[in-house]
Amino acid sequence: MTTVALPAGPGTTPREDRAEATVRAFFAAYRAHDVEGMVELCAEGAGFRYVPFEVRSRQRVLYGEGRVRTVGKVIWTTLIDAFPDLTNAVTSLRADPDGNVAAEAGIGGTQARDFGIIECTGGRYELPHLFLFHVTGDGLIDDIVGYWDNVGWKKQLGCLEID
Amino acid sequence: MGGEPLSARELAEKFFGHVEAGEVNEILGMMTPDATVSLVPLNRHGPMAADGASYLRELARAFPDLLVRVRRLFVTADNTAVAEITIDGTQADNFLAVANQEKQVNLDQAWMLTFTPDDRISAVIAYWDQNQLYRRLGVKRLDQITITAG
Repeated sequence: MTTVALPAGPGTTPREDRAEATVRAFFAAYRAHDVEGMVELCAEGAGFRYVPFEVRSRQRVLYGEGRVRTVGKVIWTTLIDAFPDLTNAVTSLRADPDGNVAAEAGIGGTQARDFGIIECTGGRYELPHLFLFHVTGDGLIDDIVGYWDNVGWKKQLGCLEID
Repeated sequence: MGGEPLSARELAEKFFGHVEAGEVNEILGMMTPDATVSLVPLNRHGPMAADGASYLRELARAFPDLLVRVRRLFVTADNTAVAEITIDGTQADNFLAVANQEKQVNLDQAWMLTFTPDDRISAVIAYWDQNQLYRRLGVKRLDQITITAG
């Protein structure tokens, strides 16, 4: 998977350009499996929410929500461990003058370990994602929200359980 | 009586107001004739007038008490309104092949509406997790969508 060359949007400002550059660097670090690099692009205390991430146990539901340096880092590390060839390709990038960035990216990889309820059968997946970032004026990400469809993910990996 | 043209932000809020009210014809009236839609989790990509309208009509029929709350909204340099919304409602009819169990549903979604210079919507892209929706509707297995828990 390669990064798609994307034209700059019309009438972009330095703030937008800087925010987009930060987000591109974030995905480049993700492709390189450089989790520390991903974290370093984020402000201390940066917020994190992976909306589809709900892990159900008998007692409670764990949500993929918290801080980049705690929840985010653990999820990224676990994903890369389970999918050692995990990669991404940014397919669209849009920014506003206030540091908000919407990035569509295809993410895919080959499963080498169990991931949550998805038992490893060696399957491969590719899945469109939408990430919404907020980037500070200093060029640091201070909020990440991710959306994708777990049905598409699970079906590609042979898991048919909802929970 | 003329007025100030609505901003992309205001138009996006109007769009979601129509979604909440099930006003699909009004939504289509906001679109360019060749507007496209990508409902990513449904793998439906096509004309808004066909694929988008069909989905929105099914949503309105299945959830007549639908509420749409816009949680975050920003407009990017290419005049795309990016919105995080939460939809809430009680199932009252089959929806996307899931039998009606009168389940209460709330689901977070992200939508992108791209506006033309004359304030029409030319493209709609929507993301959500269909697994979350199935879970809330009582579905237990992805190969048994129409069979729901008792």
